[in-house]
Amino acid sequence: MEEQEPKGWSPYLAGGLAGLLLVCSVFLSGNYFGASTTFVRVAGTIEKVFVPDRVAQSEYFTRFAPAIDWQWMFVAGVFFGSLISAATSRSFRLQTVPHTWRERFGPSATKRGLVAYAGGTIAMFGARLADG
Amino acid sequence: MMTLAGFITGMAFGFLLQKARVIRYDKQLGALRLMDMTIVKFMLSTVIVGMVGVYLLHDLGLAELRFKPTVLGGNIIGGILFGIGWGLIGYCPATSVAAFGEGRTDALWGFLGMVTGAGLYAEAYPLMNRTVLTWGDLGMVTIPQLLGVNHWAVIVLFAAAGIFLFRWFERKGL
Repeated sequence: MEEQEPKGWSPYLAGGLAGLLLVCSVFLSGNYFGASTTFVRVAGTIEKVFVPDRVAQSEYFTRFAPAIDWQWMFVAGVFFGSLISAATSRSFRLQTVPHTWRERFGPSATKRGLVAYAGGTIAMFGARLADG
Repeated sequence: MMTLAGFITGMAFGFLLQKARVIRYDKQLGALRLMDMTIVKFMLSTVIVGMVGVYLLHDLGLAELRFKPTVLGGNIIGGILFGIGWGLIGYCPATSVAAFGEGRTDALWGFLGMVTGAGLYAEAYPLMNRTVLTWGDLGMVTIPQLLGVNHWAVIVLFAAAGIFLFRWFERKGL
């Protein structure tokens, strides 16, 4: 049995604070929140190692060059912010298969990993197509 | 300096996401199955506060609005694909990173899938640009412009509808 984790904050409070954070960011630096463009930059960075010519000629990687910018750092920050919050509130859990997935589809980490990988691929293709 | 600001803002955002427990597969699927509205409460609260604040700054001449062109072909087909993928992975782009931060290792596979999807889209972009992205291109439009009303009318209505929805969620225990 897992150790009972402390209850989180109200989603209205945390969501409202996230809204204030966005307003401050727009006011101070003109930056809105986003994440999906960073995945394009990461893909370009990796591809550049193997096929630099292809990346250099790509229309899309010219528009979204493989570089570290505000949003890239924002996404990196999200990882550390979540890690700090989880580690300081006894809610960090190493978990390979989520609860509700396990109940429905079983404990296989490979199965879950493959579906998460495929889902991520489709979701990101769609997100970029929708320009979001 | 600019990128450091991005890092700190991201940390604060990731902190809030984790505190509200909205980055879990169980919560995200709960919302998609209309059984647990926690993430909808979080997102809609952010949107309402952000909407009021950003438009206030804009009206005071203190900030620039930034929005993207509306292309119905890309928005609708991309939206459907995103929905199918989201249902499978159970994380969205930023929450996959946050979920990995709280120890959910399946989010890493999802993250790698998303990088793959971004690379595939870069390959498909020239084709999409000739086809899907030419369908229903409305250009730079906003809802207030389309309706021909003042933006505050839309903001007030949207916020009221959001609060009404919140009350309904609480009554239904969602």
